[in-house]
Amino acid sequence: MKTTAIDPTWAWLPYRASEEQPWNRGRAAHLLRRAGFGATSQEIDAAVEKGPEEIVADLVSPRLDAAFELESDAFAKTILASGDPKNLSAWWSYVMLRTPHPLLEKTTLFWHGHFATSAAKVEDAETMYNQNRLFRQFALGDFGKLTHAISRDPAMLTYLDSITNRKAHPNENYARELMELFCLGEGNYSENDIQELARCFTGWEIRRGKFRFNQFQHDPGMKSVLGHSGPLPEGKSIDVVLDQPAAPQFIVSKLIRYFMFDEPAASDELVEPLANELREHEWDISHVVRRMLTSQLFYSEHVIGRKVRSPVDLVVGLLRTLEGSTNAYQLGDDLNQLGQGLFYPPNVKGWDGGRAWINSSTLLGRANVIGRIIRDENTRFASGNLNEYFNRLDANSAPAIVDKLLELTLAVQPPQTVKEQLVEVINRNGDRSERIAEAIHALSTIPEFQVM
Amino acid sequence: MRSNRREFLKTTLGTSAVVSLGATVPGFLRAAAVASTDDKETILVVVQLSGGNDGLNTVVPFSDPAYRGSRPKLAIPASDVLKINDALGFHPSARGFADLLEDNSLAIVQGVGYDNPNRSHFESMDIWHTCQRKSDTRTTGWLGRYLDASQANRSGVSLAFHLGHEKQPFALTAEDVRVPSISSLEGFRLNDSGDKEVRSTISKLASSARQESDSILDFLQSTTTVALSASQRVEEASRDYKTPIDYPESDLATKLKTVAQLIDAGLGTRVYYVTLDGFDTHSQQPAAHAVLLSQLGGAVSSFIKDIKHQGHGDRVAVLAFSEFGRRVEENASEGTDHGAAAPMFLAGNKVRAGVIGDHPSLTDLEDGDLKFHTDFRQVYATVLESWLGWPSKSVLDGSYDPVDAFEA
Repeated sequence: MKTTAIDPTWAWLPYRASEEQPWNRGRAAHLLRRAGFGATSQEIDAAVEKGPEEIVADLVSPRLDAAFELESDAFAKTILASGDPKNLSAWWSYVMLRTPHPLLEKTTLFWHGHFATSAAKVEDAETMYNQNRLFRQFALGDFGKLTHAISRDPAMLTYLDSITNRKAHPNENYARELMELFCLGEGNYSENDIQELARCFTGWEIRRGKFRFNQFQHDPGMKSVLGHSGPLPEGKSIDVVLDQPAAPQFIVSKLIRYFMFDEPAASDELVEPLANELREHEWDISHVVRRMLTSQLFYSEHVIGRKVRSPVDLVVGLLRTLEGSTNAYQLGDDLNQLGQGLFYPPNVKGWDGGRAWINSSTLLGRANVIGRIIRDENTRFASGNLNEYFNRLDANSAPAIVDKLLELTLAVQPPQTVKEQLVEVINRNGDRSERIAEAIHALSTIPEFQVM
Repeated sequence: MRSNRREFLKTTLGTSAVVSLGATVPGFLRAAAVASTDDKETILVVVQLSGGNDGLNTVVPFSDPAYRGSRPKLAIPASDVLKINDALGFHPSARGFADLLEDNSLAIVQGVGYDNPNRSHFESMDIWHTCQRKSDTRTTGWLGRYLDASQANRSGVSLAFHLGHEKQPFALTAEDVRVPSISSLEGFRLNDSGDKEVRSTISKLASSARQESDSILDFLQSTTTVALSASQRVEEASRDYKTPIDYPESDLATKLKTVAQLIDAGLGTRVYYVTLDGFDTHSQQPAAHAVLLSQLGGAVSSFIKDIKHQGHGDRVAVLAFSEFGRRVEENASEGTDHGAAAPMFLAGNKVRAGVIGDHPSLTDLEDGDLKFHTDFRQVYATVLESWLGWPSKSVLDGSYDPVDAFEA
C-alpha cells in the first residue's frame, strides 16, 4: 500500500493524459467499472475514443430511456403483484444488469447503503420499492432534498420507529441515526442533541401508506439542537443538521470511499476541497461525483485496484463485461448469499464494504456463485456460449482468450504463473466453452479478481 | 473420521502425561501445558447479542419500587419472573437461563460496562471488540490479539471459527491469523462439479507467489488459502453428527449445534463466535424481547446439554454480552432507548454459578442510565487467564482485575 500522503491540490486537478498516466483501454475500463458495473470490449474502445470528460459528463446527466423505463416498470409490476419483498432483489439485479445508466444505478445503490432500510422490518414490497425510486430520483441530485424526503419516507419511518415517536416520551432511534449515520458521523453531536432532535420528530407518522404530521403527538415546545434554539417545526431541525460543517465533510468522505478507495480513510485535508464545493453547489451530488471521476487522483495508483469488489461489482460486473444475461431471481439470491442482499442491508449502517466483504465463506461463495452462473443453462453471452463470444472478440487461441479475459475483468494483473495455469485449463481436452467456463471459475478465486 | 482423529490424538500424544502435571503446577501453566492436546483444551464460545440487550428486563430487580416506577408498561410483574433470589429474577421467557442456573452452570456478572459510555451501536460494539476508543488506531480485536499471540506451532489448525451470515466480528480480526467464517456447513465448500482438477488448479492459483507486497492483496491471498484448507477440514470433520439433544428451532440453536458438532470433531479450535441480532427494541419491546430471550436461553441450554453429553462439558464455556444495556425509563413507543451498563453471562460446567456483583442502583443514574461497576475488560481478563490460560495484559493492553467466575 502507498502510505505517502495524497496532496489534495494535486488530487482534485482535472486528469490530463500524460506519459505516466496515459488515457488507454486500462484507464477507460477502470472508469467504467467504478462509475458502473464493468464494460464490454466494444464499450472500452468507444470510451478510449471519447475521453474521460465527455464520458463522465454523459454519465452524470442520464437521459431518460423510455424503452428501458417501460421494460423496468413492467418487471417491477410483476414483482409487486407477488407482494413478497424478497423478489424485489430480482428486479433490481435485472435493472443493474441492463440499465443504460450505470452511474445512476450505482449511485442509487450507494444511497440504499447510506440510508439503509431493510425489508426484514418494513415487510412491504411496495413501500420498499417506492423508497428505491426516491433514491433513484435524487441519486445524482440534491442531498438536502433527499434527506428531507427520506425523513418522511414510509419505509424509513417504519424502519427507525418514527411512527411510534410520541411527545410523551420521544423515541430516539431516528434522531440518533440521522446525525450518526446519515449526516454528521459519530462524535459530531451530543447525547443531549439526540434527545432534543427526537422531540422535533414527534408526531411524524404514516397514515394509509403515506407520511402524515400528527400535531396531537408533536411536541411544539422549545428545543435546542446543535446550538440552535427554537420550536424547530417541520423540517427546520433537519436544516439545522444539514448546516453543520461536518455534514458535507461526512458525505464526501463516504463518496470517496465508495467511488475511489477503501483504505486508508481519506484525510480531512483531502476531503475538504470537495466538501466546500458540495456546499457551494447546494448539495449537488452530481457535481462532486463528476469531480471525483475526472480527477488526477482517480486515474492514479492510489485508486486503481484499490477497492474490494462488492458482490454486485463482482457478479453484475462479470456479466455486463461479457454481455451476459441470466435468471434474475437466481442472481438476487446469489447476491444475498455473498452478503449483499438487495433491500436487506444487515443493519442501519448498511454494508461496511472493503475488507468486510471478505471472509472464508464469502470467498468460497464467490467462486461457487461465479462457477454456477457461467455454467447455468439460462446464462447467455451475447446470445451465445463462451467460445462463440471470445471468437467474436477475435480471441481464438487459449493464450489470446486468457489475455482478453484478464484485460476485461482485472484492474491489477496477476503473476505470469497464474496466466500460464489458466491457459493450461483452456487447453485441456473437452468442450471449449466448458473449458473457458472452468478458467473463469478458477480466475474467480484469485486475489486480483476480488479488487477493482 | 471424527472418532479416528480423536483416537489418534489420544494414543499418540499420551494425554495422561500432560494431565498428571495438573495437581502441582499453577492453573495458568497447567492450561498452557494442556494446550498441546486437542481433547483437553478449553474452548470459549462467544454469543454476541447485537442491538443492545435490555439487561433490566433480562435480570429483573423485581422487588425494587424504582423498577416499576421507571417502567409503567414494560416492567415484568414480580409474579412472572423466574426467581434467582429475593430481589432478582429472570424474564419469564429466559427459561433456558433459569434451568442452567439451577444446574449450577450459569454465572451472571452484574453491572458491566465502561467509563464514559458511548451509545452508538457501532462505536460501542467496536469498543467491546477492540478494547480501544475511537481516538486510538484500531486494527485488531481482543480475540484476534489472543489468536495472534497463541498461534505458535499451530499451523494447519483453525484456532477460531465465526459462524453466521453477517460480516465477521471485529473482535476476531488479527494481524496474522485469518479466522474462517462459516455461514452454513453445506455452503462451506468449493463446488468443483466433481472435477478434481478444478480444485487442484484453484489451490495452485491461490498459492502462486505475488511479486509486490500489497496489503489488500496479501489479505485476500491469505484468506483464500485459509478458506480452502479450512473448508476441507470442516468437510471431513462434519459428516454424520448425531445428538440425542433436541435443539429448539432458531438460527442461534442451529449455529450452536454446528459448534457442538465441530467441537466433537476435535478440530483443535479454541474460540467459536456466534451472534443473535434484534435487541434494538426502541418500540414494541415486550413481544420481541420475549422471543429473543427464549431463543437465547433455549439455544445455550441445549448446547451445554449437548456438550456435556459428548463428554466435553468440563472444557467448554459460553460468554454472552451486548454492546450496551438500555435506558432505565421506557419511552412512549413501549420500547427503550440506548443505555449503558448491563449484565454479562457465562455458562458451562466450570463456571461459578450465581450472581456476581450487585445490581446497579436504579436511582443513582448517569444520564438516565445504569452505572457500571465492573469493566467488561475484567470479564475478558477472567476468560483469558482463568479459562483460556493466557496472560491478559498484552491482549487487553492493560491490567484488569479478574472476577471470580470460574471454579478453581
